[in-house]
Formats: sequence, structure tokens, C-alpha cells
Amino acid sequence: MKNKKTSIKDFSNKEGQLVELDNSGFLPLPPPYDKQELEPKIGSLTEDARKKYECDLDGVVAVKFPRPETEEEKRILVEKFLSGLKKLFEKENNWGFMQPLFLTMEYCAKCQTCASACPIYNETGEMDIYRPTFRSDILRRLYKTYVKKGGKFFAKVSGNDIEASWTMIARLMELCYRCTICRRCAQTCPVGVDNGLVTREIRKIFSQEMGINVEPLHKKGSVQQLKAGSSTGMIPAAFLDNIEFLEEEVEERTGMNFKWPMDKAGADILLIHNAGEYLAWPENPEAFAIILEAAGISYTLSSELVGYDSVNYGVWYDDVQFARVAIKHAQAARKLGVKKIVLGECGHAHKALTVIADRVFTGEFNIPRESSLTLLDDIIKNGRLKLDPSRNDDIITTLHDPCNVVRLMGIVQPQRNVLKAVSNNFREMTPHGVENYCCGGGSGFAITQDLNFPDWRHTVSGRAKLRQILDVFQDVIGPEQKKYVCAPCSNCKGAMRDMFAAYGLFERCNILYGGLVELVVNAMPEIEKPFLEWEWH
Amino acid sequence: MPIFEYQDVKIDVDEDGFMQEPEKWDETIAKALATTEGVDELTDEHWKVVNYLREYYLKFGIAPMIRKLCKETGFPLKRIYELFPSGPAKGACKVAGLAKPTGCV
Repeated sequence: MKNKKTSIKDFSNKEGQLVELDNSGFLPLPPPYDKQELEPKIGSLTEDARKKYECDLDGVVAVKFPRPETEEEKRILVEKFLSGLKKLFEKENNWGFMQPLFLTMEYCAKCQTCASACPIYNETGEMDIYRPTFRSDILRRLYKTYVKKGGKFFAKVSGNDIEASWTMIARLMELCYRCTICRRCAQTCPVGVDNGLVTREIRKIFSQEMGINVEPLHKKGSVQQLKAGSSTGMIPAAFLDNIEFLEEEVEERTGMNFKWPMDKAGADILLIHNAGEYLAWPENPEAFAIILEAAGISYTLSSELVGYDSVNYGVWYDDVQFARVAIKHAQAARKLGVKKIVLGECGHAHKALTVIADRVFTGEFNIPRESSLTLLDDIIKNGRLKLDPSRNDDIITTLHDPCNVVRLMGIVQPQRNVLKAVSNNFREMTPHGVENYCCGGGSGFAITQDLNFPDWRHTVSGRAKLRQILDVFQDVIGPEQKKYVCAPCSNCKGAMRDMFAAYGLFERCNILYGGLVELVVNAMPEIEKPFLEWEWH
Repeated sequence: MPIFEYQDVKIDVDEDGFMQEPEKWDETIAKALATTEGVDELTDEHWKVVNYLREYYLKFGIAPMIRKLCKETGFPLKRIYELFPSGPAKGACKVAGLAKPTGCV
């Protein structure tokens, strides 16, 4: 591995690309991917793209920011960055996150316990630039130099100064998109420092102050969601048309003929799915509809703008966009007068609406929110579904824990109770539960699809998860045995779909990914035909 | 922004070759875009897929669900992959002049 060690001085001053990525220096994968030729490579950017976009960190591009042409442009960008930096530490501008950020700036003991918890740092053979404290140390030095009183003097005396050059800021702009915000680092820190939050707050400076963000998250994401109703571009009329189609499909597949409750005022629950499910994995909302119908749950969907798409990408990069979307969700629920909102299988929507929205919602907007995983657990515990786990006997299952559901919210057992009720062949990955590894697609990476970023995701950020999946199925790794990675999260599924395809995991090892409710419906004896279609999709 | 040129056709596309201004789409452009997908001649079956995608897109502003595409055209997914080797989203939608899919799909 070239340039494995990197100093902050080099990060600030060195011209050209700082480090070269080379898979051969990464931790080797278990069979059959112990043969290097089976592993996808990180593609080089074209000469045009290199000239056009800032890519001097590691030769990978997430942000696609055009290189400024003049010194004057660079000066303005640096000035804006510093202005945004100051705002992070002002109560009026960052009341939601200032306290944990401030504590993170002041109290890191540099013990590096977090480094050993970071999958990206470890899987790349310990590349300095990916170490959780490396990114935070840059922000800390900037804070000490440019925000604290007398900063320039004291920072210099203590050797903690840093010069805010455009070279450095451009690298930081890409570096804040090399961490999935899985927050294993925060979990392991003995003093409660949150380096995952640092990643997110740096993204915030770029987005809120400089208008620099990742297109699929912002322009094609939260902006489109607020305008069209969904980040997928699905307008309410298209949503209703799709539901009609899915109702017909459910009847064909299961023989059950029923209307999906839509805009039903006074229902107990408003169920919101990630709208990507309807388009990419429609069997997931179908399975939800079947279960809730069979269990006799009082619920409704909403066809209100944004009310049918639980995504809230702002949680990854921008407080303003976050609040705009969160309020739309609360409004949709209030309009229907439901008792609570239940979130489908989408991890970041759990984080956004159940946890972070607490900092936005006040009074009557603060409507109760719940995970669908706990609801499903209740339904099964209360015997409201007839289940026969032997219907899933031909499949060996494992469970992927979405970081936002498990580590952030502590929902660990409910999904296991559900899975054990429908699968006799369930095995745990190591580690799991709150110590799980990210799918590699966290914090928006699953939908960041341009240039060579997906290569980085498949070989770097998803590597620890791939290792776990191969390990848990190692004794049955051949294609003759069906294996299912149950991943109750849209982003995790998207990341796995692309990563599995890049490695040929379905063809070579017969490993499929999918949600939790699909397995539940597959175990319902009243439904004659198998619900699970063992096909790559 | 990359420009795609083929015979008399000259259009703005994104890095994956999707049209940037889908409203400018016409049959000549479809034929030109098809060449980037390894489809030298658009048969009636190709047109059935392209026309349905186009019709749905004009009505709803996005691509239909893949299952819906299969059902409405009567082609199983396998056949769609045979017609458009990079698949319904990356292949057929591109030829039909739709924008690249967005959101968690």
C-alpha cells in the first residue's frame, strides 16, 4: 500500500493525489474471494474527470466538485468554509448538535480505541486518512485555530495549528464522504466522543454554507422529495397507481383480495415505507400489507406529498433539508389523526424520524413514532399470525443489523424473535447486534452511484460486511445451498444488491439478500404458493 | 457535461449516457442511443418496451416498476434483458430517453 501513513501536514500542503488505493494492501477476504482476481478493482478516473473534479484525496470522487480555476475562487471558498465552521459552534446556528460536537472537540484523549472499531480503517490495512480521529483532528485543529479565542496563537504554541488552504478543504470535502457514520467509533469511545457526528457536521458546513453536497442526496434526493413527493420522483398519482398494481399482484400471488388502506382518517397507525421499496423491492410493502391485513391491525398509508416516502436524506448532510422533510412527515400524520407513525424497513428513516426529529418536533407535532420491527414482534408474540417456519426450511438465514436501528436505537431482539419464529435455520454473524458492521452503504453511500465511488463502496466500506457474510456461510458456501441475508433496511439492501453483483455472490455462492417481512409471509401456511421468489433482483 | 453524438444526433447526456433533457427525445434519438446499448436495430419488440416506458414517463414523470413493465408488455424480465442487455433501468430507460433513476432504488 502506497502512502499508508499520512501526516496532517501532508494533508494540508502536499500537491496532487495524496494516497493511491490498491486492493492488494487490503485485508484478504475469505474463500472463494481469497483469489484476488475475483475481487472487483477500484477503477481509475478518466483523465477528463481527474482534470475536472477535485479528487486529490484518494483518487475517488463522491462529491463531483469542479476544481476552482482561479486563486480568487479558492479564496472565496475558503472564506465561506471558515464562516460555516464558526456557525457549527454557535448556539443560534447549531442548537441541535453543538453540545456533543463541542465535547468531541475538547475531550478526545487520542487513545485510538475508536480506530480498532472502524471497519474502513481496518479493512484497508490501517490507512491513516481513514482513521476516525484523523478526520476529527483536522476539524479540531481548525476549531482551535479559527474559532477559539486567541486560537491562532495558542494553537501554534501547542502545535495544533492548521492553515485553511483550499487544497486541505477540498480533501476534507471528499474525506467526509469516506465514513458511513456507522458510529462504531462513538460506541467504543471511553469518554463519549462521537467521530461519526464529526463526519456529519463537516458535511453540514459544505452543504449549508457552501451549497456543496452529493447530487443523489440533495438535488435528486431531498430537493426532489419536497417537490415531487418522493426522492424517487414518484408523484402522488404514480404512487396511487402503483398501489393499485400491487393490490392486483398480491391477489395473483396469494389469492388474498383486499384494498390497501389509503388516507384513512382515524386509523391507529400511519405506516411509511421508504418509497424505493415500491419501485425496487415491491415484495416488501406487499408483505407488510399481507401481514397487517392478516393480523387485523388498524393502519393506513398516506398519499400526501412526502407522506409516502420515509426517506430523509438531510439526516446525513443538512439540518435545514432534514427539518423540512421531517415536518412534512409529522403533518401527514396529523392530517390523518393517527395515534402513531410506524416506519417500514428503512434504517436511516428510523434515525431521522424517531431519534433526530425529537430536536425539531414540539407540541402537537411530537407524535409518537415506532419501528415496524417492534410492531411485528408484538403481532407474532400475541399470536395474531399463523406461522409455519418449516416453509423456510430450504433456506439458511442470517441477519444483518442496520446500524441506525440497532446501534443507535438499541432495537436488537425484536427482529431476532421474528426471524426465529419463521426460520429454523437461522445463524448469527460475528459480531452482531449493537456491534454489527455497516453494509457499506450507510450515510447515503448506497445511492451515490457516480464515477468510481461504487467501486470504493464494494471494496472498502462494504468489505467488513462481505467478510462477515462469507464467514457465516463458509461451511455451505457452494451454490447448491440457498442462503439468505435478511437485511431489514432499504439502503442496506441497495448496498448489498450492488456489492453482491460486483462479486457475483448470487451466481457463485447462491446468497440472496432481502427484507424480513418477505420471510414472514413465506412462512404463512394460508398462502399456497411460496412468496419468496428465488431470483436475483 | 458530456455530449453524445451519432450521425445527425447531438444531445447532452450524463456520465452514464442518460439524456439530460428527456423532452427532446424522438425516435431518431432512440435509435442513436440504442447503439450505445449494443442494439443496432430496434425491432417491434424493442419499440413495444420503449413506447410503454415513454407513455408511462409522460404520464407520471418517472419510470414504471419493472414488474409493471413486464406485465404491460407481456415480456418476462429475461426477455427484456435479451432485448436490452444492460437491463430495463440502465438499458431500456436510457433508449426511451428517461432520466437516471433516483432515490433508494
